[in-house]
Amino acid sequence: MLAAQAKHPSSEPVDPHAPFVLTLTASGGPRLAALNAAAEAAGLTLGQPLADARAKAGFLQARESNPAADAAALRRLALWATRYTPTASPWHADNGADGFFLDIEGAAHLFGGEEKLLADLAARLHENFGLPARLAVAGTSGAAWALSRFHAEPCIALASGGEAAALSPLPVEALRLPPDTCATLRRLGFKTVGALLDKPRAPFAARFPAELLRRVDQALGRLDEPLVPVVPPPVYHVLRYLLEPIITQQAVLALARRLMNTLVHVLARDDVGARALRLSLYHVDGAVETVDVGLTLPTRDVAHVARLLDLKLETLAAMQEAGFGFEAIGLAVTRAEPVPARQLKLDVGRHPEVRAQRASKEDGRSVLSSFEGHLRWSPQDDDNVERCAALIDTLRGRLGPHSVRQFVPVASHNPERAEILPPINGEMSASWPEPEQPRPLLILPRAERAEVTALVPDGPPRRFCWRGVTYDVTGAEGPERIGAEWWRRNDGHRTPEPTRDYYLVEDSGGRRFWLFREGLYGRETAPARWFVHGLFA
Amino acid sequence: MSPSRTVSVLRNRAAMAEELRRLLPKLEGLHKARPLPFGVADIDRCLPQGGLPGAALHEIVPEGGSASAAFGFMVALLARMARSHPIVLVLPNYRLRHYGRPYSHGIRALGLDPGRLILAGTSHRKQTLWALEEALRARAVAAVAGAVDTLDLKSSQRLQLAATDAGVPLLLLRPADILEASAAATRWRVAPAPAVRDRFGLIAQARWRLMLERCRNGRAGEWIVEYDHVTHRFSLAAALADPAHAGGAGETSFQRAG
Repeated sequence: MLAAQAKHPSSEPVDPHAPFVLTLTASGGPRLAALNAAAEAAGLTLGQPLADARAKAGFLQARESNPAADAAALRRLALWATRYTPTASPWHADNGADGFFLDIEGAAHLFGGEEKLLADLAARLHENFGLPARLAVAGTSGAAWALSRFHAEPCIALASGGEAAALSPLPVEALRLPPDTCATLRRLGFKTVGALLDKPRAPFAARFPAELLRRVDQALGRLDEPLVPVVPPPVYHVLRYLLEPIITQQAVLALARRLMNTLVHVLARDDVGARALRLSLYHVDGAVETVDVGLTLPTRDVAHVARLLDLKLETLAAMQEAGFGFEAIGLAVTRAEPVPARQLKLDVGRHPEVRAQRASKEDGRSVLSSFEGHLRWSPQDDDNVERCAALIDTLRGRLGPHSVRQFVPVASHNPERAEILPPINGEMSASWPEPEQPRPLLILPRAERAEVTALVPDGPPRRFCWRGVTYDVTGAEGPERIGAEWWRRNDGHRTPEPTRDYYLVEDSGGRRFWLFREGLYGRETAPARWFVHGLFA
Repeated sequence: MSPSRTVSVLRNRAAMAEELRRLLPKLEGLHKARPLPFGVADIDRCLPQGGLPGAALHEIVPEGGSASAAFGFMVALLARMARSHPIVLVLPNYRLRHYGRPYSHGIRALGLDPGRLILAGTSHRKQTLWALEEALRARAVAAVAGAVDTLDLKSSQRLQLAATDAGVPLLLLRPADILEASAAATRWRVAPAPAVRDRFGLIAQARWRLMLERCRNGRAGEWIVEYDHVTHRFSLAAALADPAHAGGAGETSFQRAG
C-alpha cells in the first residue's frame, strides 16, 4: 500500500494506470516488493522475480524500493495521525511496515464515534496524501490488523468482544505469522483462524514456535501488546481543529494561549506544573511541525508559556513558509512535576501603618555600608524565585540552552580546572571558598606567550612583552608553584604537563597581570617559557 | 495634578522650587530604588541624592589600557548590591577571546559570590541588548551587568527606561574608543593605579583611578579609590584625600598601618 506510494522525485514520472512495481534485491536477483492495481490486474504477485514479471506484463515500470524512505514517510504519516490521538505507533517489519496503529480509547467520542473517526481519517488520507486506506477498529491491535488486511470492507469498526467471531473466517495469515509458519499450517489443513481457535493449545505449543500462540492470544486480547508510540505520549494534551486555517504567528500564539488556558485547569486540578511543553502545528498539506519548550521550574503561567512559544516561533522557519496555513494546533505537556507547596503570605509590609512605622525607624538609621535591602522584596520571596526561573527560561529560549550558565567550583589546584560553567539548572550552587592565593579577575581562554626579561632564570620577571606592548614591572609577588595533577597522567603516551610558577606582576601603570613560567628551571625545561594567563582588577 | 493646586504652587517661588525638587526624582524614576552610596563622602557629594541612582543605566569605560580594572570596579559595585538575589551578567561570546573571560575565583576574591551570577553568552549586539532588557524587565535580579561595543542613543534610552521601570541598576562596560551620546545616568572612567601594599610589600588592595565623567543631576569628579573586598568598602587613597574631608581616608590609613 504505502510502499508503492514512495515518491521518487528525481526520476521520470510514473504512469499510475500502467503496471508499476517496486523491487527489492534478494537472492537470485530483484523481486517484486510492491505493485499497483494495474500490475495486479496483469497477474503479477508479490515476491515474483522481476525478470518473470517483465516477461508476463510486457510493459512494466520498475523502481528499486527504498525501505528507509518508506519508514520515514510512515513516521511522518504517524506524526500527522497524532491529531486523532497522542498514541500513534507506526508498524515495524513484523507488522508489515505499511501502516500504523492508533490508540483511540477515550478519543473516539471527540470525533462523534468510531465510525465517524474512521470516515474522517479515510477522507483525510485520501485528500491530503492520495492514499487509499484500509481501516479497522477493534478491541485489540492484532484483531484490528487482521481486519484491516483481510476483511472485505475497507472500513470496519468491530464491537469489543467480537474478535474471535470476526477473525474466524479470515485466513491464517491474518495472525501476523512468518510466511513459513503459515505455509506449514496450510499444509496441515488449517486454512482459517477459526480452524486454529477450536483446537487444544498444547499440541501447537509443542510443534510450533511460541510466536503462534502469542499472536493468537494478542489477537484475542488474552495477552497485552504494548504500542510503541511515534513520539512519547504527553501527560496532558489539548488539540483544536480550525474551521479556517491560520497562518500568522499572532494567530498561532493566540490559539496556543487559549489551549494553555485549558491545560491550566487540568494542571491545577492535579497539583502539577509543566516542565516541558510541545506545540504541534498541523499543516493543511499534512506535514507536522513541533516546537518544544523546556522550563526551569514547573509552571502554570499562561503568559510565560506564551512568551516562550513566541520566542521559539520567531526562529521557526515554518512560520515564514506556512503555505496554506495550519488546520489544527495541539499543545501537550510532555513533562509534569508537582508544584512545590507555597505559603500565601499576608503582605504586612504594604499596610500603611506598618509602612509609616518603618519609615520613622529608617530615618534614624545611619547609612548602610552595603546596598543590601534597597530592593523591595524579601530574600525568601517565592515570587522572586519564580520570576528568576522565568527569566532563565526566556534567555534560554532565545540564546540557546548552552548560553545561559553559572559558575560551579571544582576542587582543583589547576586554575583552569578549578571552575566549570554548566548550563544553569535553576538552583544556585553551594558556597565558594575564599581563594588563599591571588586569583585574577579575568582569565585568558588560552595562556598567551610573553617575552620576559628576568634577572635570574628562575626569578620574577623585570620586563615583559605581551601582544606587542612592553611593560616595565615595578613589583612582583610569587612564585606560587602549581604542579601538574599526577593522577591525570594515566592516558599513557602524553607527556605530563610541566609545573608552573605563577607571579602576580604590577607594571608602572598599575596594571596587574598573572604570569607563569612553564617548567622547573633546569629540570623540566632548559629555556624559560613565560605565559600571560590572567588579568587582575 | 488639579489646576487649582498648580496655581497654589506657583504663588510662592520657594514653594515651587520645593515642589519641583520633590517631583524631580519621580520623573527620573529615582523613587523606585534607593540610591547606592559609596560610603565615601567626597564621591557621594557629587552624586544625586548622595548615591548612585539605584534604577538607572551606568556606563563604565576602561581607561589606561586595562579592561580588568573597569570590570573589577563593576564587580565591586555588584558586590555591594542586595546579597540575596542573583545577578545577570550578559557578555558577548566573541569578545572573550580578546579580553579574557571572568574567572570565578577572581570574582570571589573581590567579594562577590560567583554562585549568584547568571551568565548569558550572546553572539551579536542585538542579542546582547535584548538579553539586557529582558533581564531588567524580569524584576527578579538585584542588578544587571553587561558589556556592549556600540550603543546608539536610542538603545541607551531604551535600556535606561527599562532600568527605571524595573527599579534595577544596570551597569554596562563600554570600550573607550567608541562612545556615542547616551542616556546613561552616569559615566565612569576607570584606570588602574598602583596597588596598596602592606608592610611586606605584598599587594593588599586593588586601587583604581575613578573619573566620574558625566553625572545627571550631579557633578563630575576624579578620585583614586581603594576597595576592600572583605567589608565591601570603598575608601579614598590617602595621598589624594582632601585634608578638609580626611575623615574616611584617615581611617583607612590607620587600618593599613595596623
